[in-house]
Amino acid sequence: MLTKKVLNVGFEAIAIEERQPVGIDELAHYPVFPEELAEFIRRAIPESRHDELVWSVTLTALKPSMPEGDTHGA
Amino acid sequence: MAHFTDVEARTIIRETYAQIASSSRTVAERLYAPEELEGLPKAPVDLALGVGHPVRHARLSPGDVVLDVGCGAGIDTLLAARLVGPGGRVIGLDMTPAMVARTREHAAIAGFGWVEVKEGLMEAIPLGDNAVDVVVTNGVLNLSTRKSRALAEMLRVLRPGGRLALADLVVTEALPEDVLRSAPALAA
Repeated sequence: MLTKKVLNVGFEAIAIEERQPVGIDELAHYPVFPEELAEFIRRAIPESRHDELVWSVTLTALKPSMPEGDTHGA
Repeated sequence: MAHFTDVEARTIIRETYAQIASSSRTVAERLYAPEELEGLPKAPVDLALGVGHPVRHARLSPGDVVLDVGCGAGIDTLLAARLVGPGGRVIGLDMTPAMVARTREHAAIAGFGWVEVKEGLMEAIPLGDNAVDVVVTNGVLNLSTRKSRALAEMLRVLRPGGRLALADLVVTEALPEDVLRSAPALAA
């Protein structure tokens, strides 16, 4: 979904550089993720997902050298 | 379906991030190499809130002009500034005035006079077209209620052939409604 959004706005040469699961315990290290929130999410989400709640993705992409339809360059 | 309006989301995020305090290097030590953290001021290391290391993949060169979208307390801004050197320029952008002030202070402590920090939205980046060589952003896009708009702005300000290095959190399975409606979860 993220790569599709990046592609749809006009980037090219999209490459996933890193991708790894992030669990609730790991998120709880962040000061914006207080323990009460961690507990709330632990209760709301099946235990099987606690270690893979979200994925951290790092991607790179390029702006096309000459935007589509621009014959004069940028 | 959006659970918060743009204004609600921004208010929640600004209030949350303005109050953040941390004295733990746990997040920074998970993301960055010890030699990268060495020599940086303590505060931006303690306040690292990223989810990856986009600067590592940005292939920065001395003299590059870099935009750090959602610079927070400035750790990626400072790492980029170190790599582009005084012949380059790094622009930190954040919508939270407290974070703008922090990054300015941290860049001054680091002696990186080629860092500039602007207050603004990622959906309306206060720069002209084709203004930068590289855009880095770390754990910020997920905070936007208009992600495609924010990405389109990153594309606009990049010069042709310029590079985006983006780290973010993605959800592969839907989260329960009560989590999606939670203001603390939105800010986190």
